[in-house]
Amino acid sequence: MSFADKIVSEFELAAKNLNGEKESSLFAMRKEALSSFQKLGIPSNRHEEWRYTNIKTQLPETLSVLSGNASIVEKNGFNNFKEIKATRLVFFNGVFSKELSSIIEQTGVTVGSLKEHLHHNKPVTEKYFGVLVKKYEEHFSVLNTAFATDGAFVHIMKGVTAEFPVFIIHLYNSPENFTQTRNLIVAEESSKLNVIVDFQNLGSASFYNHVSEVFVGKNADVNVTKLQTATANTTAVHTLEADVERDAKFTCTTISLEAKLIRNTTNVRLSGENSEAHLNGLYYAKGTSLIDNHILVDHLVPNCQSNQLYKGILDEEGTGVFNGKIFVKQDAQKTNAFQSSKAILLSDEASINSKPQLEIFADDVKCSHGAAIGQLSDDEIFYLLARGIHKADAKSILTYAFASQIIETIAIDELKVYLDNKLKERLHLDF
Amino acid sequence: MLSIKNLNVAINGQQILKNLNLEIKAGEVQAIMGPNGTGKSTLASTLAGKEAYEVLSGEVKFNGKDLLEMSPDERAREGVFLAFQYPVEIPGVSVTNFMKAALNAKRRHFGLDPIEAKDFLKLMKDKMALVEIKKEMMSRSLNEGFSGGEKKRNEIFQMAMLEPSLCILDETDSGLDIDALRIVANGINKLRDKDRSFLVITHYQRLLTYIVPDVVHVMFGGKIVKSGGKDLALELEEKGYDWIKEEVAAEA
Ligand SMILES: Nc1ncnc2c1ncn2[C@@H]1O[C@H](COP(=O)(O)OP(=O)(O)OP(=O)(O)O)[C@@H](O)[C@H]1O
Ligand SMILES: [Mg+2]
Repeated sequence: MSFADKIVSEFELAAKNLNGEKESSLFAMRKEALSSFQKLGIPSNRHEEWRYTNIKTQLPETLSVLSGNASIVEKNGFNNFKEIKATRLVFFNGVFSKELSSIIEQTGVTVGSLKEHLHHNKPVTEKYFGVLVKKYEEHFSVLNTAFATDGAFVHIMKGVTAEFPVFIIHLYNSPENFTQTRNLIVAEESSKLNVIVDFQNLGSASFYNHVSEVFVGKNADVNVTKLQTATANTTAVHTLEADVERDAKFTCTTISLEAKLIRNTTNVRLSGENSEAHLNGLYYAKGTSLIDNHILVDHLVPNCQSNQLYKGILDEEGTGVFNGKIFVKQDAQKTNAFQSSKAILLSDEASINSKPQLEIFADDVKCSHGAAIGQLSDDEIFYLLARGIHKADAKSILTYAFASQIIETIAIDELKVYLDNKLKERLHLDF
Repeated sequence: MLSIKNLNVAINGQQILKNLNLEIKAGEVQAIMGPNGTGKSTLASTLAGKEAYEVLSGEVKFNGKDLLEMSPDERAREGVFLAFQYPVEIPGVSVTNFMKAALNAKRRHFGLDPIEAKDFLKLMKDKMALVEIKKEMMSRSLNEGFSGGEKKRNEIFQMAMLEPSLCILDETDSGLDIDALRIVANGINKLRDKDRSFLVITHYQRLLTYIVPDVVHVMFGGKIVKSGGKDLALELEEKGYDWIKEEVAAEA
């Protein structure tokens, strides 16, 4: 039995325990997603979108996609970022932990476990859950729709500004599972929200498939920061699907500093006029790590703006993949789309596969993209050497400088400090 | 302090310095003047250890040690400082962080612990005052968007922080307005010390009215063709370089 077949049989196993739920529209959606997955399967590197990231060979076929063990994590057994004042939602192997979470109540802000809301908040979840995944139907996002039972639910009512960031922490320590986690984030018209999603590997190895669906309503402003900074020995596929309505703004920053293999897919639909998306990323692949960023900005309507700014550092035998797509549909006149991907290679064994992909069907658009792959500048290194700084430190300082441009864009100061320190730690810098 | 004997240096296969000789004693200030493209910056970069400059032959001793054997960073830690003619811009590295890294590298080299935060701040404050640099400058990216004059001041500020024993100033006066020139020259003068030597590369006599040199050299065609006292600078200012070129041609 192939891994994909095994997954299908696990679905049937899980369905047996559902009883009454089987009649629900949610179950129908899951079944539909499963059949999409059956068609797609687990991609091999013969698949164009997975050419440089051979995920198939990295997922042991013995993994189970059903919920993992429910062992207990200690309060101080993980980083809860206590220096950042926020509403905190903590998930352990895909299961909500009430004890570890702490919610700052605010009228108009609903946060909690997606599992609960799928059952008790149907007007919202039925309207939004799974909707964006269905737009592009990718291997792992449909798999996630079929199986994911829990994750964060965040709903901001019309006109409300969430006073504090929502900090979602996903902890994993279950090496036997391919854990499926799911976030649903809905920001209604004219609301404002800051979300941080952090992923931590607490075990020797972990495998997971995470999907976040983000709805940015009319004139809303949503900022998502994704942290993959405590994710050594992690094999993960992340899909973020966002839909941005008229006059709205969506900002997403993805920071990946540790991994065995991480694939970040970020699909953003600019579906309302005059909306904008800003997608920033920083990735650092060292050792034999592979970090893959696949981005799609889909300009569906006129007068929208998008920016992609990604920076990569590839050290030792690290590998990076950057695939940045800009689609401008026929109607999307006056689109302003920009993309920049820069990577530095710190060793001869490091590598990057970088591919911009522009598909433009409108005629009145401004699109630009730039991809640069290089080494550190000799003149800059020499300037530091000439002040007595050792060569290894000079390189670290310049690498830090290259990367800090992305960290500078982070909206929350304490988070900026955390990432700044984390980056220095990764680079063995001590100033 | 510094002793250069028969130094021949090439860049990209083209020889620039030709049998250059120079002796600088501790506490001395020596100036080098000379037309564009004669190799003044080549000499400065060679002393600092820039890789592209290929030493064909010759000897450079710094405080008795073979300077050419040392890596560029080692030279700096040992006390050689080059104030660049064109300081490079380094986005993302603040002046403060940069100085801390440089200072601590030097301290480690001499077996000292990293400097305490408060001592560092005090030191920065004192040295900023020396060349009248504003505090805001310190958190900005190194040289990025600095005006020409600000870059030069920043070089002297760094020099003051690192307290080198051999200071090579490559056209530090170019691009400075009249007030800034006086400020920078005063700063340099305050750093004059019996154990510290200066090699001042300049095109203008003006700087040398502030920083009075012990010796003035004229460099031409990759070697020093004439040396004299501080009055030589005045003479060059008046007469230009043609008479020197003629002298050289006559000797050849
Ligand atoms: N990378 C290089 N490749 C080839 N020639 C070079 C290179 N760098 C410098 N040179 C040449 O070496 C010569 C000496 O240059 P250098 O910068 O030392 O002159 P300088 O005396 O400092 O001039 P200036 O007064 O204009 O600063 C020049 O002819 C210059 O063109
Ligand atoms: Mg020069």
